[in-house]
Amino acid sequence: MKRSLLLILILAVAALALGQMLDPRGYNVRVLCLVLLAASLGQCWNIVGGLANQISLGHAAFFGIGAYTSTVLQTLGGITPWIGMPVGMLFAMTAALLLSLPTMRLKGPYFALATLAFGEACRILATAFPGITGGPQGISVPFVGNSWAMMQFRGAGNYVYLFTGLFVVVSVVFACLSHGRMGYLMRAVRENEEAAEVAGVNTLKVKLMGSLISAALTAATGTLFAQFTFFFDPESVFSASGISIRAALIAIVGGVGTLAGPIIGALIVVPLEELLSTYLSSKAAGIAPFTFGLILIAIVLLRPRGLITLFRNRRPSGART
Amino acid sequence: MTALLQTLTDGLLIGGVYGVIAVGLSLVFGVLKIVNFAQAEFLMIGMYVAWFCWSYLGLDPIFGAFVALAAGFLIGAACQRLLVQHVIHAPPVAQIFLTVGLLAVLENGALMLFGSEFRSVQTPYQTAALEIGQLFISMPYLIAFVAAVTISLGLWLVLAHTWIGRAIRATSQNAQAARLFGIDTRVIYAIAFGLGTGLTAFGGGIILSYSAVSPTAGTQFVVLMFTVVVLGGLGSVLGALVGGLIVGVIQSLSTLVMPIQLQNLALFVVFITFLAFRPQGLLGKGAR
Repeated sequence: MKRSLLLILILAVAALALGQMLDPRGYNVRVLCLVLLAASLGQCWNIVGGLANQISLGHAAFFGIGAYTSTVLQTLGGITPWIGMPVGMLFAMTAALLLSLPTMRLKGPYFALATLAFGEACRILATAFPGITGGPQGISVPFVGNSWAMMQFRGAGNYVYLFTGLFVVVSVVFACLSHGRMGYLMRAVRENEEAAEVAGVNTLKVKLMGSLISAALTAATGTLFAQFTFFFDPESVFSASGISIRAALIAIVGGVGTLAGPIIGALIVVPLEELLSTYLSSKAAGIAPFTFGLILIAIVLLRPRGLITLFRNRRPSGART
Repeated sequence: MTALLQTLTDGLLIGGVYGVIAVGLSLVFGVLKIVNFAQAEFLMIGMYVAWFCWSYLGLDPIFGAFVALAAGFLIGAACQRLLVQHVIHAPPVAQIFLTVGLLAVLENGALMLFGSEFRSVQTPYQTAALEIGQLFISMPYLIAFVAAVTISLGLWLVLAHTWIGRAIRATSQNAQAARLFGIDTRVIYAIAFGLGTGLTAFGGGIILSYSAVSPTAGTQFVVLMFTVVVLGGLGSVLGALVGGLIVGVIQSLSTLVMPIQLQNLALFVVFITFLAFRPQGLLGKGAR
């Protein structure tokens, strides 16, 4: 536990220091923000996908709910995202609760399919009600100038603080869950659900708690994403490949169920994505997702426990930080 | 009344094609016990194969669909031997993400090779329609439906009356017992997977006469295909065909009562409800 918190602290200080050194309006600081965002998103997924082995392919639903809630509140009533974010988190938890009613008993691929369909359903709903969401044309965050109160800034510089804050919160929640009673219960569910049930674990409650926490944090990530990009549409925030699968990919590349996993994943995936889309996308559209498909296949076949195993080969396989 | 009949007819005609597209997915699950998330990409591959056959050889998409069947079989069998075979006994998370990775590779591979533009074919019967009473039956839909029924009968004949078919069914019932009876289940896995992807590619070929192909053509069908097989019972071949008809009808009926943007929402609701309350499907018996 202490080691996990220390790791988070070191990374947070490193991110803030790096943010200070980089040009606040430059491209590199933007990439830093994207890495922090991706690490947070992957960690959110890791709470249910990694600890409890509930393979969700629908996290875009919660991400999009977070992005839309805060943005719609801003456009309608000028309400600050500091209020919009918790409201979005509540909505996302409600959505997670609704989703869990029919899906809680489902396993493996069945659960993955149901969550995938749920994300797609959210995308269609956002497209179908242009009066509120702006429909397929998308929605913009109204720009009022640099303002902490409205959580928006001209350059990417100040976002480093926001994203580092998000990253710390999500990581600490994960570490606490993972090392606490809840983490053991979730891992019991992951290893053998029937056995856990027989041993007296209320598996439904454990899974529900995990998905509520994960949904709320994912929604918060969505709100920050909206504040960061200022414009989005249903295709981008409810995207199955762009958000749901990417969240899982980041955790899986690094190491499912570990604190360091999504961080390693984000440090690899985001810079690679930027490099590919900067230098190669003009020559061949689709090369970035193509490469990630290949990476995903390679990881599954060669390093199913993620790249983290490269650093801890000699440890017993059950050990976790 | 006529409008209702017309919608029902359209739904059934489209649904027959959905059945063929999804039956491959069901077959793969029935035999390999793997949910192939990349299955819909073979629909896109089949559409491209049929398009190139039409464009360069002047082949009608219905005949091009048979070339697509062969191509889908070969590509699918190769994917199975090289990739899927390694995760057959792996936990679901590995199987899910291997096929999700394959989905991304196939879709974006097509984007890199063919570009993002939509390609369609022109056929002499494209705008033709049969008129029965007040009912209009669109010719391309009818032809696609007939082709779908034909190939389904063909699949049934293969599964019921050939050695390969019996070996596939034996492997799907109990792989270990099948091995004891001298069936090389690894070969059967590759054949079943190839047959499944081939059938989906065939479905892509036959819809080309009324639907344009682009790299994302498959992805649009992902949830629809899964709805079909979940309705029919994952792993059931007959169920997938029946499920296809039902989904076709639901989809076209929902346009009568809901705005067109919400057309697929009805499907998702049916899908999640079925997963929750009857995961064995309409025709399935007992628990999964």
